[in-house]
Amino acid sequence: MTEFLNDWGLILITFLPLVGALVMILVPKESEDTHKLLALVTALATAVVGVLLLLNFNYSSAGELQFLVDHQWIEVINSRFVMGLDGLSLPLLALTVGIMPLVFVYSWNHIPEPGNPKAFFILMLVLETGMIGSFVAQDLILFFVFFEVVLLPMYFMIGVWGGPERKYASIKFFLYTLFGSALMIVAFIGVSYLSKTQTFVIPELTAFGGAGITKATQVILFGGMFLGFGIKVPMFPFHTWLPDAHTQAPTQGSVILAAVLLKLGTYGFLRIAIPVLPLGARQWAPVIGVLAVIGIIYGALACLAQTDMKRLIAFSSVAHMGFTMLAISTLTDLGFNAAVFGMVAHGLITGMLFFLAGSIKERYHTLEIKRLGGLLVQAPKMGWILGLCTMASLGLPGLAGFWGEFPAILSAYAPAVGLSVPLFRTLMVVAALGTVLAAGYLLWLYQRTAFGTPTEEFASDPHIHDVETPEWIAWTPLLILIVVFGFVPGLIFNVTQPAVSLIAGAVGG
Amino acid sequence: MSNPLSAFLRDYLTVGIFASLAFVLVGLLLFISWLVRPDRRQAQKYIAYESGVDPVGDMWSQSQVRYYIFALLFVMFDVEAVFIFPWATQLEVFGFFGLIEMTIFIVILLLGLVYAWRKGVLRWV
Amino acid sequence: MTGFVAVLAATEDIPTPDVDWSAIAPNLILMLGGILLLTVVSVVRGRLPGWFHAVWTISVATAAIVAVVPLWQRVQDSGPESVLAGALVLDGFSLVVTATICVSVILAALLLEAYLRRERLGGPEWYVLMLLSASGGVTMATANDLVVVFIGLEILSVAVYVLAAMHRRRVSSQEAGLKYFVLGAFSSAFLLYGIALTYGATGSTNLSRIQAFLADTVITQNALLLGGLAFMLVGFGFKVAVVPFHNWKPDVYQGSPTPVTAFMATAVTAAAFAALLRVYVTTFGPTYRTEWQPLVAALTVLTLVVGAFLAISQTNVKRMLAYSSINHAGFVLLGVLAASAAGDAATLFYLVAYTFMAAGSFAVVAVVGRRGDGHHDLSDYQGLSRSRPGLALVFTILLLSQAGVPLTAGFLAKFYVLAAAVESGYTWLAVLAMLTAVVSAFMYLRIVVTMYFAEPEGEPRRPRIPAAAGLAMGLCVVGVLVIGIVPGPLSDVANDAVSQLVAVGR
Repeated sequence: MTEFLNDWGLILITFLPLVGALVMILVPKESEDTHKLLALVTALATAVVGVLLLLNFNYSSAGELQFLVDHQWIEVINSRFVMGLDGLSLPLLALTVGIMPLVFVYSWNHIPEPGNPKAFFILMLVLETGMIGSFVAQDLILFFVFFEVVLLPMYFMIGVWGGPERKYASIKFFLYTLFGSALMIVAFIGVSYLSKTQTFVIPELTAFGGAGITKATQVILFGGMFLGFGIKVPMFPFHTWLPDAHTQAPTQGSVILAAVLLKLGTYGFLRIAIPVLPLGARQWAPVIGVLAVIGIIYGALACLAQTDMKRLIAFSSVAHMGFTMLAISTLTDLGFNAAVFGMVAHGLITGMLFFLAGSIKERYHTLEIKRLGGLLVQAPKMGWILGLCTMASLGLPGLAGFWGEFPAILSAYAPAVGLSVPLFRTLMVVAALGTVLAAGYLLWLYQRTAFGTPTEEFASDPHIHDVETPEWIAWTPLLILIVVFGFVPGLIFNVTQPAVSLIAGAVGG
Repeated sequence: MSNPLSAFLRDYLTVGIFASLAFVLVGLLLFISWLVRPDRRQAQKYIAYESGVDPVGDMWSQSQVRYYIFALLFVMFDVEAVFIFPWATQLEVFGFFGLIEMTIFIVILLLGLVYAWRKGVLRWV
Repeated sequence: MTGFVAVLAATEDIPTPDVDWSAIAPNLILMLGGILLLTVVSVVRGRLPGWFHAVWTISVATAAIVAVVPLWQRVQDSGPESVLAGALVLDGFSLVVTATICVSVILAALLLEAYLRRERLGGPEWYVLMLLSASGGVTMATANDLVVVFIGLEILSVAVYVLAAMHRRRVSSQEAGLKYFVLGAFSSAFLLYGIALTYGATGSTNLSRIQAFLADTVITQNALLLGGLAFMLVGFGFKVAVVPFHNWKPDVYQGSPTPVTAFMATAVTAAAFAALLRVYVTTFGPTYRTEWQPLVAALTVLTLVVGAFLAISQTNVKRMLAYSSINHAGFVLLGVLAASAAGDAATLFYLVAYTFMAAGSFAVVAVVGRRGDGHHDLSDYQGLSRSRPGLALVFTILLLSQAGVPLTAGFLAKFYVLAAAVESGYTWLAVLAMLTAVVSAFMYLRIVVTMYFAEPEGEPRRPRIPAAAGLAMGLCVVGVLVIGIVPGPLSDVANDAVSQLVAVGR
């Protein structure tokens, strides 16, 4: 068993969703229930493989790549098919394979217009392959391939199943990301070309640590990667695609986007940009820090100005990813730990918030905050869940969100040696102000949607009911994890610490 | 014959002799005809195209399109001749190889003619 | 009279080359296949069925590909060789381009068969001209002498001029033929002038001898040679449509019958780039690289930018693809510009990949164009995902490949040329190229959006998909995906197929 997992585990988990999608292509479009079942079974099987990997993972050496797969791929350019799992990838992999079945469960009776679950589910399964592949790929080209594979299904999900402005939103999403990855691939080629062995294998490049590449070159190459990953995160000022994409995407798309897709950017910084180009990272760190804090404040202020619940949650993502990026920009192991925790926590909480937004939209047919109200009266269970999630999102201690934000702010107190301490302490203060704003807009949102009495137009709407069974099944695991990680943050920190301390050590933190 | 330059020039001397012979011959013939022929001047004899149509009207006149195809066919065989003449002078040098080459060349052109024929190009409708 | 004798004596030396028939077999097969088809149809009484011509053409092209295989083995085993007294060269590069041209003949013939039936046009002439044109292309790709390059170019071009104008009832087809002819003749003049100047500077038109001469001799007054290089660049530039010599391309691509456009975009481009690469990189690369590289770099910048930006303002899909092919030409030029073994391989890879992408895309356009070959507006693609989901999917895959999305041939093609350019120190150009790729991605997305997301006015039409055209599209999609997912074999071949020259005796 262990041996099988060692050799095939990662290949299996990556391509299992794709196999499921291929099977689904053969099933005729009309048998919708078969498709729902097939998709769910595939996602569950993938999750089972994920659990097996979690169980067989050697936690005492979480800093090393495990289940390593290494095959010849494109020989002429030295690109190899390398996959591996370490403490950095593990939480994100678990997040991905964990969330996908829940999304499929949720989809059981929530197929967005214009229907056609076959195509919808196939796209989601392809998306899953892309996301898992990105987190386990250990070769720049392989990573890039998976990174781009993610793009297309999401583009179609927004474009076909999205809201009224879907055309604009989908093209914007696609072009922004493509623009970033276009420069990223040039940076990848540059890094590989300038490395001693002209390899694309990430561990080799990490070990090599940018030796021999001059500081100026590293700054330029890092800039290319910064654009690629920064747009994906998204960092201020490249964030403008996110509110549009989130608002227009179907619920499932929003959840996946928030829970996993945004993490590809931050993960890219930790896995590739920083360890491969340490000198460049040190030059860019203050810029990233400042942009991150601008993102925090800007996102929070934008939230206060929103009238649409989904758009508000989208801007809150900008703010939360700002915390993560601030943590990364400190180049310390505390910061990196906080960043990974922040990613997972944001994935759980914001994913949950988008689920709720989707369900509210389905009941009220609107997400305009001023038309909502009295959720606690009409659907009390849902109201309480929304309450828990907003509390978690604003960083209440005891819930997962806290451990993403608090250490991030703390890490800015003592950035890596060589970085300007006064600058980062200023950033820390401003970021802390951001949490106050976050509390403001989230409580404001909760107050206006859940408290009070229902507005007249919905007061006697029989359509509005409390949480349904598929929703319970989809949400319970997320809620439990939000609480569990809030009380036992060590579950994640212990896994990530060995991996990120290596990176921090390499950058000289 | 002693130095190559004079040999080279001697070749041109041959050309020169031939050229002057040609001039002399033409001049001689014109002179004889001038001596022999009767000389009756008339106005008509001084207009252009003495024997044809008066050049009046638009100079952009249309002609039968079929001439165009014949012109093309003519060009085809003209070009063929252009290639065959120099080849013929050196046939011995090229030998058997040259014979095959020229056969291929002519056959390809003939195939073109066959095609044109089958297409009805040669028929004057 | 002794002078005459001397001249006669000198002619004794005229070499009659040993003809290695097997070495020129692919070209011979194509040429004879074309001539024979013409003969057969003119000798046989009555009309032959339309499919016969297509089957014949496909068989001939397949036979040519089969003939390439043993030659490839031979070149791999014993190295490149020169054929026909140094007029042609047999190396991996020329063989791969030959095979590519044959593939595009097959794809175009598949399209043509149904197209001619739909448009009620007939005749074997289309196929004959295509085979002869392909033979010209192969001649260009194998040429080891500037004069042979020129002859190949003319055989290729003259046939395509006629093909462009072959749709007799469409005025735009006539226009395309005339435009292509006039500008093509113009560019031939430039090329010829460049060849003449080069001959004047180096004393030979044979590429091997030019290379050897330049390696041994330092030319102090090289204005003549530089002029020759510049003029030849203009000549080739017209053929591959690099900016600013691109003006004919949108009109010609739009006006020509769509299968002919597919042929032009694939075979003509491949042959012209092969010749360009052999002349500039292989022959002049070692000695005169620094002289021509700035020129080509400037052309590359223009080609990339103009191709991408003019494409996004179009509303005619055929025209969009024409402009996008200009952008693609910029990418190929990037591989040429690298002037290295990696650049050669990248160029070759790009040409092969582009053959599948372009032929497939124009196949879709041909089908959607419907009778009259005129429905090429973006609005004609509205609702295609509902009326013809398979066709929409095929077009999407091909367009995404053209945009350079991973797991398709287009991504690796772009990747290789970028890698080659970065290695040769053109990182800034690589960045620029990728930015233009994003711009043209917007154009491809517009088409995809129209197919999938736009609400059609009224019931979307269901274009008829003939079996042969469907087969062509299937082949292209399979090609694009297979190259994209398992690029190893093709990139190995491309790497083994570096353009080389063989020293020839006098």
